[in-house]
Amino acid sequence: MLSANPRSTVSLGGRPLHAMLVPIPIVCFVATLITDIVYWQTAAMLWADMSAWLLLVGLIVSLFAAPAGIIDLFGDPRIRKLRAAWIHGIGNVTALILSIFNCLIHTRDAYTSVVPSGLILSALVVVILLVTGWNGWALVYRHGVGVRQTEQQ
Amino acid sequence: MKLARFKAATIAVLLALVGCGPAPIDPSRQVGPNPYLPPIHQYLLPPMHVAKVVGWNGATPSVPAGLKVQAFAIGLANPRSLYVLPNGDVLVVETGVPPGPVSRPKELVMNWVEKRAHSRTKPGQRILLFRDTDGDGVPDQETVFIDHLNSPFGVVLVGNDLYVANTDAVIRYPYTAGQTRITDPGVKLCDLPGGPIDHHWTKSLTASPDGSELYAGVGSNSNITENGIQAEAGRASIWQIDRATGAHREYATGLRNPNGLQFEPQTHTLWAVINERDELGPDLVPDYLTSVRDGAFYDWPYSYYGQHIDPRVQPQRPDLVAKAIAPDYALSSHVAPLGLVFYSGINLPAHYRGGAFVGEHGSWDRAVLNGYKVVYIPFVDGRPSGPPEDVVTGFLVDGDKARGRPVGLAVDGKGGLLIADDTGNSVWRVSSASP
Repeated sequence: MLSANPRSTVSLGGRPLHAMLVPIPIVCFVATLITDIVYWQTAAMLWADMSAWLLLVGLIVSLFAAPAGIIDLFGDPRIRKLRAAWIHGIGNVTALILSIFNCLIHTRDAYTSVVPSGLILSALVVVILLVTGWNGWALVYRHGVGVRQTEQQ
Repeated sequence: MKLARFKAATIAVLLALVGCGPAPIDPSRQVGPNPYLPPIHQYLLPPMHVAKVVGWNGATPSVPAGLKVQAFAIGLANPRSLYVLPNGDVLVVETGVPPGPVSRPKELVMNWVEKRAHSRTKPGQRILLFRDTDGDGVPDQETVFIDHLNSPFGVVLVGNDLYVANTDAVIRYPYTAGQTRITDPGVKLCDLPGGPIDHHWTKSLTASPDGSELYAGVGSNSNITENGIQAEAGRASIWQIDRATGAHREYATGLRNPNGLQFEPQTHTLWAVINERDELGPDLVPDYLTSVRDGAFYDWPYSYYGQHIDPRVQPQRPDLVAKAIAPDYALSSHVAPLGLVFYSGINLPAHYRGGAFVGEHGSWDRAVLNGYKVVYIPFVDGRPSGPPEDVVTGFLVDGDKARGRPVGLAVDGKGGLLIADDTGNSVWRVSSASP
């Protein structure tokens, strides 16, 4: 029996894995922008160190979140037909690639590990995440991707 | 065909992005009083390139005609510095990096790379004494002279007081001529900046010619202030320590990692070799040999080679940059000089008398390895008078494998040049080929 909603291929007990994991890199990358801004304003190394850890954790969790999302995209033709799914997917992959470069820039020592290149990349990633997040919410809350049919339906 | 070209172009673009950086220049352009300084290149990924350690396996370093080289001691545990006592006994300091905190992910990678670049032997924390009783130049007696030290490096004897610079303090021990073991716990003369962060941990030590003062090299606590400027108190500095009271003052500052403190025998001027900063490109910043002026501020961290601003340091200090003085003699970039000795012996051919030998531990962040040798710099009237020449080589084999890496140097009682090789776990002795 095919459910009326697009299905998530990678799920645990009916809960899509991508939705479980993706908040972690999002929070990490947004927090990186905050700690980068604080470092830019204070030049206190603690904040730059924090950015480096946040980027690393965000990237590591992305290694699992991204494949789960990509498999979901290709796992159900109904998802592939959604414009929001492509904006969400391509945008997030772009944010991920930029964050890999950002992580490398943050391995530099002291001020130029953040200002200006690191800070610019961190801000760019957050702007992209706003767009991809908006579209991601549309996938779930408007198109019901990965949402099981309820009894009433 | 087209695809292959596309692939090659893609790889080239990726390499450029990942920041292998500009091709290294010929190091001969960066030696002497006026080194060529290329523009800064900040990497996306530092080109960590350390020589794989393969060991000597019976081979020996190479020396030019007229010299010979022998193994003075082998099978040691990370020998890094040497000191010759007045009776000819040779002290070999076995030592290693103290443990430190990890403050960001990069350090996990760096620690792993550094481990690969060094010998797998667990470093000793002690000083060994070697004695040559039959006069053939190589020792036939070995004892543990002082044990259970804390990352020791510098040693100097003044009268009957033997001083050892641990990474966190200068300790004084009573010594009588001929003694082969010290069991006295020693007395602390003066604290030195140690942990918890102890980035440049080797504390070089020497005494003024009249014996009244000690001089200790205290390296910076970071590459370029990435551990915060507050971690740099008393560091990147040469301390003058009053031998009677243990009181100290900073004799010269702005010296990123000073080692090989030595008084030039003719002019009685203090000299040192300095390890300069990393990650500004394969040819920045040249390491150097310099006389050390009382009260001088050299450059670290705000600028390099005089007034060349380092953009990584924030906030900047234009007042200190204005005072910064350029050093005397560049050794080229990333050679990592850790040993210095003025040769006033008479065993080596006349060509090597009066100048300085420098032990270059070798580069870790340069695509083409640099250093990994001992060079000789001629001096006239107490100043360098010509380009450095390679004297002891062969530490590298096949271009990028290391048999060993030279560190501290000393001249023994018979005028032979001794070289501590921490990666090869050996001490080498260079002497005249003709008896």
